[in-house]
Amino acid sequence: MDGFRKKDKLWLTIWLTGLAGLGLWDAVFLNQPAFLLLQTAFVNTLTAGVLVVVFSLALGWPIGVALYFLETRRPAFYLSFTFVLNIIRSIPQIVGILIGYVILTIFIEDQILRSQFSQLVWMAFTISLFVFLEVVDLVRERIAYYNKLDFFQAMLCCGIKEGRIINRDILWKNSRAHLLHKMISVFGIAVFLQCSIDFIISVGLSTDVSLSNFPVTLGSLLAKLDSKQDILAVGSAFSSPTNALSLLFEHLQGVSIAFVIVFTLLCVYKISNGLVRRFNL
Amino acid sequence: MKSKLIEHTLSIVLLSCVFIIVMNVIGHRESARNVDRMRFIAPYLQFDSLDFGNPLHVALFKETLDLFHPETPARNDSLLLAIQAFRQEQFTNQAYKTGGGDRGLSSAKMMKLGNMYLQFIIIYLIVMVLSYYAAQSLAIFRFVKMKQNKTSYLEELYTGMRSTTHRNGSFFSHSVFLFAKALVKSLSYAVLFSPAYVIAYSIRSSMNTDSYLFMIVLGVISNGLLINYANKFFTFLVTESRKGYVQTAIVKNLNASYEWGTPDGVSRWSVVRPGSSFPSHVFRHIYMNARFQFLSTLKEHASFLITGLVIIEMALNIQGHLGYELLQNILYKQYDVVVSIILGIFFIVKVTEIVVDGWFHHESRKYENRV
Amino acid sequence: MNTLRFDIRIATDERTLVDIREFQLPLDRITFLFGESGIGKSLIARAVYGLLDPEEFNITINGEPYKSYVRKPETQGVKENSFYVFQEPSSHLNPLMPLEMQIREGSLSQVSDDREILDRLLEGSDANEVRKLLEVYPKPYRPSGGEKQRIFLVMALKKIDLMLAAGRVNKQHVFVFDEPTGSLDNHFRNVFLSLLFKRFQQQRFTTLLITHDYSMVSEVTRTYRGFVDYVSFKELSLHNGRHTLSDFQPETYIGWLEKQRKEPASRKPGGESRPLLRVESGVEVFRQQLTISKDPEGAQLSALEIYPGTVVYAKAPSGTGKTTLVKLMMGLIRGKNLKVTLDGDILTEYTPRRFWQKKIWGKKMTMVFQHADEALNPRATVMETFQGLPSEKRITRESVRQSLGELFDFEIGDEFMNKQVSTLSGGQKQRLNLLRSLFLNTDILILDEPLNGLDFESTTKVLSMIRGKQRAGKGILLISHNEEIFDALISKEHIYYLQAAPAK
Repeated sequence: MDGFRKKDKLWLTIWLTGLAGLGLWDAVFLNQPAFLLLQTAFVNTLTAGVLVVVFSLALGWPIGVALYFLETRRPAFYLSFTFVLNIIRSIPQIVGILIGYVILTIFIEDQILRSQFSQLVWMAFTISLFVFLEVVDLVRERIAYYNKLDFFQAMLCCGIKEGRIINRDILWKNSRAHLLHKMISVFGIAVFLQCSIDFIISVGLSTDVSLSNFPVTLGSLLAKLDSKQDILAVGSAFSSPTNALSLLFEHLQGVSIAFVIVFTLLCVYKISNGLVRRFNL
Repeated sequence: MKSKLIEHTLSIVLLSCVFIIVMNVIGHRESARNVDRMRFIAPYLQFDSLDFGNPLHVALFKETLDLFHPETPARNDSLLLAIQAFRQEQFTNQAYKTGGGDRGLSSAKMMKLGNMYLQFIIIYLIVMVLSYYAAQSLAIFRFVKMKQNKTSYLEELYTGMRSTTHRNGSFFSHSVFLFAKALVKSLSYAVLFSPAYVIAYSIRSSMNTDSYLFMIVLGVISNGLLINYANKFFTFLVTESRKGYVQTAIVKNLNASYEWGTPDGVSRWSVVRPGSSFPSHVFRHIYMNARFQFLSTLKEHASFLITGLVIIEMALNIQGHLGYELLQNILYKQYDVVVSIILGIFFIVKVTEIVVDGWFHHESRKYENRV
Repeated sequence: MNTLRFDIRIATDERTLVDIREFQLPLDRITFLFGESGIGKSLIARAVYGLLDPEEFNITINGEPYKSYVRKPETQGVKENSFYVFQEPSSHLNPLMPLEMQIREGSLSQVSDDREILDRLLEGSDANEVRKLLEVYPKPYRPSGGEKQRIFLVMALKKIDLMLAAGRVNKQHVFVFDEPTGSLDNHFRNVFLSLLFKRFQQQRFTTLLITHDYSMVSEVTRTYRGFVDYVSFKELSLHNGRHTLSDFQPETYIGWLEKQRKEPASRKPGGESRPLLRVESGVEVFRQQLTISKDPEGAQLSALEIYPGTVVYAKAPSGTGKTTLVKLMMGLIRGKNLKVTLDGDILTEYTPRRFWQKKIWGKKMTMVFQHADEALNPRATVMETFQGLPSEKRITRESVRQSLGELFDFEIGDEFMNKQVSTLSGGQKQRLNLLRSLFLNTDILILDEPLNGLDFESTTKVLSMIRGKQRAGKGILLISHNEEIFDALISKEHIYYLQAAPAK
């Protein structure tokens, strides 16, 4: 037990073990095509999540630093820039991503985005457009924190370049744990939003238009008719506990997907809390 | 404050303009496409003897096309696809079904939308207030638990099982009790982290999920809203509890115990009760500072909450709700309706931001000694 | 003489912070505890008082785990009956509560009459002013650092009065003052001492006073000669990871001070040389006007001039804006009517920041900040601290080692060069902070509280190094509230006085 006093590592292990356990169970009891579909959906969702993290960092860090420089040098640019960012901030994420989806369908119609992977990248990019502000805020908060201490000014007075102080001394040397923590929570948000948007769109369309040309993710898989039936069965398990066992065998597809989503979100939360405790963030 | 207000108003105006222009452009593009497509396929739709619903007819039509225009097989294919897409739209799009008269923003539709919008605002406000209080209470509860330094139920159970002494009836019932507590805790965790649609579908068979009450409850607890903001408040509490002035309060002999109900501890009631201030306890200082910081997170809270509500309405397919209407109109490309709904949602967020900024400004003016 | 004895170990998961076999606290005496900053004085005092978090550190006291030490009735009694004045007053006040509420809270509310303490410590021109101050919410600039510190002294003295009123004094009364005069000028420091000794005369009680201010030694031995048997001076030092507590002889300091008086550091400027730097009086910032003069009353305004090979000392009561003035000169803050003449260039409020960046910072003028803890990157290694400097010298391991040799008297190996700054002791950090700026070899050097956090030995070393730089022809500007030492060191014509008045 002692090795797991670091809660983040404990929960990372729990997550991986849980997924592996589910994988084994499904390999035995779930039919082959459904299992394959589940795997693809999982990999796609994970890929999208990681892409969102990468995009948010790639957008957030430079923009955060740029805002600092603009604030001191070009106040007019700074004001208009933050004005635009604040507008993005005020659009509820789901609405913004829906707009991104509208654009995606146009791209697909015009055959600009052909491969499934490029569609995944586009969706990840849209999501990151609405979450990268968290990274910007963190970067600015860290710079502001060190700006209040003597740290920044003392280094300036020694003639060290401002860019070096910010990027190397403040962000790289002193904020790595903070950034890691932020990346993990961004990953959680990304998975949640990705699943939700796919679920919504698939539900809205399921009766009418085929969605087969979109990459399959956990959300869209959950919205399929058979998965939805599986989830509905969970309710009946509450009313008659004898049905509970059937969840693990007959309704495995939907239950597995729901489990992966909820379990992943829970573990991401626990891991990020563990990090906070370990590094006193 | 004035500059903030100007900024907010400006952004409302600007975003309205941008959206209306963009959606107009897309709308034009759509209709232009439709005209193009119609010009392309219209001659073929006029054959009364041709039934495009019949696979045999379709196959025959394709053969014929290929026979007459063998030099452009690609064009033939896309012609066929366009015809099929057109037919599909005719079947699926309600606007076309009703002869296209309903397309666009008629005044009746405006009324309907306005009604939905009002409903949405009321639900939003209720969920906002509830989740704001619930998040605080939950966080305080967790903070007190942390201070009490209790081991987790499972760990207690594990150590209890390991020790071979005291194996009697009371031990057994205590173990069952602990196990049940752990089970309830993990179940509630599962609920708090579930996206709304997972919860809703899993209990749909046993209860009506289309009621307002259910929507409100779902809005508060699911989608990770409650747990995330409780966690945020908890983090504030922990950071504040490490600050120097807490030590000062301890040195000044304020109550510092976190046991339930003892004279120098905290009571369970004061944790749940809205507006309690924990007088003559060290926690008073922690709480007032954490709450002040929490105030400024209300803005993101608002936008996150709306995300949750929209997801619920869309995923549950509740007809007559704003989110559902938005989704339908996106799918059927009625962009004027889409724009008005999105702008409406944006206004809610903006108004919340203005209110929060005003409140925060008022509070901080006091603390900055400027009143 | 009764003495409390403690064997204290404090460690984190990574390293040992405190390891002292015998920490003595003489009962019914006032103990002055010296030692370089970051060595663990506060940590020891907090541990004894029962204020540390048992979950955060691994602590044993007299072989006993800290959890049970805290629960002991004796420790609980100390917490109940005593008071602890914390080192950083600003973070130890609740920013969302008016000061008045904070000094009348908890057990302090039992003191019926605190007027004498308030009047003496917060003395304004009238009672109205004191009341106005008490209505204020603590914020970074108002009340000033000194006022916040005095608020804490008010609280402690009230608690002492409570004890005296009850008439019983025992070993559960332990009053700890952690750097109580760090941001006070000499006037208020002496007011505080007189209030403390007045109560001590009435009834003796146990007091631990942690400080860096060696001039307290001469003040106490001079003014409170009658208490000599009830006052002890101790010094905490660290050797090979072990802490020891030894007696500090007041004569060591007083004798050294005498010697400094005989050979002042500043020579008269040669008539032919131009000043390296000239700062005009009267710059306006934060709605205050800062004026410079050569007499304490500020009757005759003059410009501050620094010649090659001189040390100039700028003096002012705490909170006047000494640090603000030098930050203005360095272009870190903007202020109206700024006029600095430096090597032919004139710097004003309109000079762009770029100019400072290109021509001044690290090239013509450097500044050493007072809190080494904040000024250095705690996660950089000693070597990395020097990287990125715009030095003419190449920055190699060899050149850095050579520079370090000037203030560190041990063999500097690769192990030390690769050490993280956060693991250095406070005094080492302070010296590193100084050396980083000296490495640049600029003509003008500004030192803000250079003796902050140094023990006596390091103090003498740093001062002799300053003299060395002066002999090498550099111009040095000193800011410090350590008036006694610098008054002894620097001749009168190089002392400037700073006054602040509301701007017109």
